[in-house]
Amino acid sequence: MSAKRRMWMSLLAIAMMAVVPGSAAAQGWSYKDAAKPYAGRSITILDEVTPLQENMRTLVPEFEKATGIKVDYQLLNHFEVISKGQADMLSGRGAYDAVMLHSPQMGLLLDAGVIRPIDDLLGNKALTNPGLDRADFIEPAADSLTKFRGKTYGFLNWNYNVVYWARGDLFGHAEEKTAFKKKYGYDLAPAKTLQQMRDIAEFFTRKKGEKLAGQTLDSDFYGIVMEGIKGGTTLWTVLNAFVKNFGGDIFDAEGKPTVNRPENVAAVKFWADLWKFSPPGQAEYSLIDVPTVMGNGIAAQTLAWSDFVLGIDQPGKSKLAGKFVYAGSPANAQGKKRSAETEPSGIVISKHSKQPEATYLFLQWMVDKSTQQILFDKSGGAGVPIRNSTWALPSVKQSKFAGLYVAMQESLKYGSAKPKAPKLFEVMDVLVGLVQEVGLGKKTADQAMKEGQEKVQAICAKCTL
Amino acid sequence: MRSSRVALFTILAVAWAALAIFPVLWMAAMTVKPEALMFARPPAWSFTPTLEHLHYVVAEGFAWSLVRSLMVAGLSTLLIVVIGTPAAYAFARFPIRRRDDLLLFVLATRLAPPVALVIPFYLIYARVGLLDTYVGLILAYLTFNLSFYVWVLWSFCRDLPPELEEAARADGYSRTRVLLHVVLPLLRPGIIATSVLCFIFAWNEFLYAFMLGGKAVETLPVAVPKLITSQGVKWGELSVVGIAALVPILAAVFVLQRHIVRGLTMGAVKG
Amino acid sequence: MHPLTPSKDPAPLTLPSPQGGEGGGESGYGWFPYALIAPAMLMLVVVALVPFLYTVYLSLHEIRHAQVGDWAGLANYRTLLANPRFWHSAGISLLFIAIAVPLEFGLGLGGALILNQGVRLRSIIIPVLFVPTMMAPVVVAILWKIMLAGSWGLLSYNVIERFGILTGTSVLASPSLALYALVLVDVWQWTPFMMLAFFAGLQSLPLTPYRAAAVDGASDLQAFRRLTLPLMAPLMAVIGLLRLIDAFKVFDTIFLLTGGGPGTATESTSLFVYKTVFDFWDLGPASATAVVIWIMFFAFANGFYQIARRKLGAF
Repeated sequence: MSAKRRMWMSLLAIAMMAVVPGSAAAQGWSYKDAAKPYAGRSITILDEVTPLQENMRTLVPEFEKATGIKVDYQLLNHFEVISKGQADMLSGRGAYDAVMLHSPQMGLLLDAGVIRPIDDLLGNKALTNPGLDRADFIEPAADSLTKFRGKTYGFLNWNYNVVYWARGDLFGHAEEKTAFKKKYGYDLAPAKTLQQMRDIAEFFTRKKGEKLAGQTLDSDFYGIVMEGIKGGTTLWTVLNAFVKNFGGDIFDAEGKPTVNRPENVAAVKFWADLWKFSPPGQAEYSLIDVPTVMGNGIAAQTLAWSDFVLGIDQPGKSKLAGKFVYAGSPANAQGKKRSAETEPSGIVISKHSKQPEATYLFLQWMVDKSTQQILFDKSGGAGVPIRNSTWALPSVKQSKFAGLYVAMQESLKYGSAKPKAPKLFEVMDVLVGLVQEVGLGKKTADQAMKEGQEKVQAICAKCTL
Repeated sequence: MRSSRVALFTILAVAWAALAIFPVLWMAAMTVKPEALMFARPPAWSFTPTLEHLHYVVAEGFAWSLVRSLMVAGLSTLLIVVIGTPAAYAFARFPIRRRDDLLLFVLATRLAPPVALVIPFYLIYARVGLLDTYVGLILAYLTFNLSFYVWVLWSFCRDLPPELEEAARADGYSRTRVLLHVVLPLLRPGIIATSVLCFIFAWNEFLYAFMLGGKAVETLPVAVPKLITSQGVKWGELSVVGIAALVPILAAVFVLQRHIVRGLTMGAVKG
Repeated sequence: MHPLTPSKDPAPLTLPSPQGGEGGGESGYGWFPYALIAPAMLMLVVVALVPFLYTVYLSLHEIRHAQVGDWAGLANYRTLLANPRFWHSAGISLLFIAIAVPLEFGLGLGGALILNQGVRLRSIIIPVLFVPTMMAPVVVAILWKIMLAGSWGLLSYNVIERFGILTGTSVLASPSLALYALVLVDVWQWTPFMMLAFFAGLQSLPLTPYRAAAVDGASDLQAFRRLTLPLMAPLMAVIGLLRLIDAFKVFDTIFLLTGGGPGTATESTSLFVYKTVFDFWDLGPASATAVVIWIMFFAFANGFYQIARRKLGAF
């Protein structure tokens, strides 16, 4: 085939993919055909606002055009998505056909029976895209989130993950490297283990006036910054990036509380120890503040949600843009299991939806290979993939976040959805307060975990469904 | 001697005002500050202004939220004035049976924390179809604004000298006409003052607007959390919305201030 | 002229004597007064009483996932009153108002007295001073977050860190200081309101008693204590009561600034209820909390009203 012909064929293929989403792998199936019985219907979708979802919103008209289904795609912020979404589903109001749920919410809503399982729809050949390729979804995220007691509840829609994030410029500095090797006996590099992370944190915590990478500091510098606020995802990071790596957990295999395990105590103590090397305001830092602080350049390392990196490691957003390095969430040098904090979130169909089929078509389309590809192409390869095939997309491979993506992939290997416990928020609330007190030095890890065990047991004797 | 005292107090007042307003001025500066300089250490006092925050806010439809806020706050205040003024007057002037109990009932309606009432409200509204409607929100605002209005206006009504009303009655005017033609004009400054305060409360209200409102009825305070995304806080845009929420009120108070002060002092007959 | 001399003449507090008119009846007023209060009362019953009664109803049942279950009697109340976290939150709220409201009261009164002296540029200063009250609490919270946040807050960096006070802590993250930071924010926002209300009150005080006092040779301070305070008492009582109640219910600012933290150091009753409702979806105890708080307030307001009435002739 001549080069010219090849070019035309590629262009044609691309044009086809762009115009008819999902039909790239068409075997006679198309959204248009599948939606015929439902054309003209209206559905309302509630999702959480992020740059990726804002991009998704611009693509929605394509779906509407292709299927004739009217979609009201609403984006609200984190707090609203949870309170309004839950209020709508639990009260039976059903104004939203599909709602975005974070994995900690699953327990409560499954227990209330307000999520519509989609197995029947998945098995419906007329409605399901043969190219859906559910095996392509990133695991363990997708299954841990959506599968429960043999049924499937919705699709993985978001795949947040915590990565290790550090100041590459400091790590590359010759003087610092020599000094570090001298003190700790191994080369200065992004931490692969928690213990290394601690050493690096200790090494880089300097007071105003001391030198850092050849410059004199005009304010204090800290070795590490993490979330410390009572709320947010503080507890989850402690649990999944530390406690589980030490072999502990808050529930046992039967779902009973086991907060005061010695492994938990050791892990919390380790985490609290790191507060020595952290900024004084850490107790009020949420997942949003931590990346800001890193962007402001007063800490050497952090464990932070990778999607924030996309917003901060850009010229104009931080004066340190381009100087950061990333790695997967560290392991425990002495640990057997490895765990990372990830937050797979999904989009589910409400039990009260009057248009489950039309909604299903839309949700399917959102997580479809072609839509995901367009999404990433549109954002210049910036986003948090839900599909394995996304890593191989040219726009992603050639994006400036290649290093970050390697880190994401690693973290994602070791993270899964939160336990499906109806009272999970209450349990979390109790534990995060205790854990914060340990960080602030007001309680010992031992005291806190013991108190935690009592309190959690008072909330639920058997916590998971 | 007196003028130096006045000068001293003026300086004090100006200093106080400056101190109080400094954070707001900083926020006003943030509306046009480039994002990278927002939290620069040391703080950036001079910078090239940018309109990107304003663009974003307008593009995202926040201007409509402003209009909606105006409607909700305005209509709510109007309703309150229409039904609250006669009530306040009646409580002040007439020996109503169980007056104290009724007054306490009025006050009682704003005693429970809105945070706790919000879900029962939500559940009831969902049942009767009042969610995401102007009527629904306006009614919900009565719970705290009506009692405020009635109580404050009541204490002003009590301060009204009754002679004018007695004179009009002696001239044979009906009670209704006395209310409309004698009392209302006297009360007008007080009504303006109290209703401006009610307007401010309704304009700034968040919790009910958030839970009981929706896409159709999204007021300005509710639009604010949209700028607190999980990608970080859009401080510049937040500042724009914050200042935008302030400006109409500031303008209204500036223009009406004489009425407000007169109203709060309750124009009485100069004897 | 006495510096505290206001510009009005006295207004008597007696009720007008009844005369004949519409409706007839023993008191001579008939149905007229009731017609006047009817719309307001009706509205309040529908809009405030009904949801409240529904809340009471909810508080007496077991609620799972927003679905009303079995009758639970006083079980929710027992759970609530046995919950140390509830008492802690009540304590925090009480502490908060015990510090904030007197400060707002005092500063407001002081400011009003200063303004009353005949300060120049009043027509500009007053609206400007009033700005904090005019701002949405949501925006005020964000504003103060910008000021006080740990390492990047404007005041934190420039005032606190620079001058070495409280180094090593961050105001909003400090269990001992966070509540005071919140008090500061509340005082910043609501003092202007008190100031304006008192200023108006001062402007409306009658002249005659002051002239008489001046003739008798009373000093400024004596006039203030013997005349101004008692004459202002009714207004101060109403405003004070309203502010006390509102300060107890403060939510937006605390939620956005500390979320009730660190720990539960700033978890006021509103925050506690918020957690119970929106995080735990435990509507039974949450409704019980609403009812309990309401009862507390009602008793307080009632007591306040009776005392203010008798002692201050306020109502």
